[in-house]
Amino acid sequence: MEDLTSQPEQAHGGSAAMPAASDHVLLARFASGDAMAARMLTDRLGPRSYSVAMRMLGNRTEAEDVTQDAMMRLWQMAPDWVPGQAQVSTWLYRVTLNLCVDLRRRKRPEPIENLPDLQDGAVSVTDKIQDTARKDALQSALDQLPDRQRQAVILRHIEELSNPEIAGIMDISVEAVESLTARGKRALAAILAGRRDELGDENG
Amino acid sequence: MADHDELETLFAQARENRPVLPDDLVVRIETDAEAMRLQRSAPKERRQRRWLGLDRFGGWQALGGLVAASAAGVWIGIAAPGFLPDPATYIFPQDTTFLVADLSLDTGFLEDTE
Repeated sequence: MEDLTSQPEQAHGGSAAMPAASDHVLLARFASGDAMAARMLTDRLGPRSYSVAMRMLGNRTEAEDVTQDAMMRLWQMAPDWVPGQAQVSTWLYRVTLNLCVDLRRRKRPEPIENLPDLQDGAVSVTDKIQDTARKDALQSALDQLPDRQRQAVILRHIEELSNPEIAGIMDISVEAVESLTARGKRALAAILAGRRDELGDENG
Repeated sequence: MADHDELETLFAQARENRPVLPDDLVVRIETDAEAMRLQRSAPKERRQRRWLGLDRFGGWQALGGLVAASAAGVWIGIAAPGFLPDPATYIFPQDTTFLVADLSLDTGFLEDTE
């Protein structure tokens, strides 16, 4: 499996003359009471968790909550971390994705007949549609993919992880990752093509 | 093919515009970490302090004073200065001999049994 944490100084623009500690070393230092290690891990891993959560959920507030929750679990787990068992980043990606899936399941949209009547001043359905339209085209298309396809596509094509690492995160085979990303991309292309046709029809 | 190119363009844009971790979220995450770090170190200190029972008696300084006073007491007991009376003579007077007969007890029952 590719070790994304073994050369963190390159990934984050640090100096090659000052090799940075790997994630699991920082985690061990945090577990033994080093506050600076927590800051370094936050700088290094927080953006990755947040980026994935944003693409999975398409909602800034929810992505922030999920990232905070995932990092909290990292702090809690620190004393029990076994070096060599897995990459810390792999573990954090997995936790983040699971939290996103849990959140999406909890907030599945209610059937139309259960929605309350709109009151004066309330957000109208038209406003909601316009909000959705303002989202970038990719996010709107990603939102329509099944969970597993969306996860694989985000990790492969936005986070640029290798297939073996994605397999480790999603706990599936490399072949399954390839299948999910291929189907996900086909579905995305179809959604985007349909959206383009709709816009073409609207514009005459 | 056009769909594929459009998708790759959108992926490239997404990679270039990755969201930045908001400052307030960084603060929230680091606050959690610090709370966890303090919580993890606190029970160990509390356990040690509870074991010694120092909190109630004024900490390690008070314990040091108690140990010094105890050591002085033991030393005075072993090697009391000459000008001090030996407290042991008050408890076990050495110049007085008590006999059972001095107690005027009836010891006839002892003779009967022989």
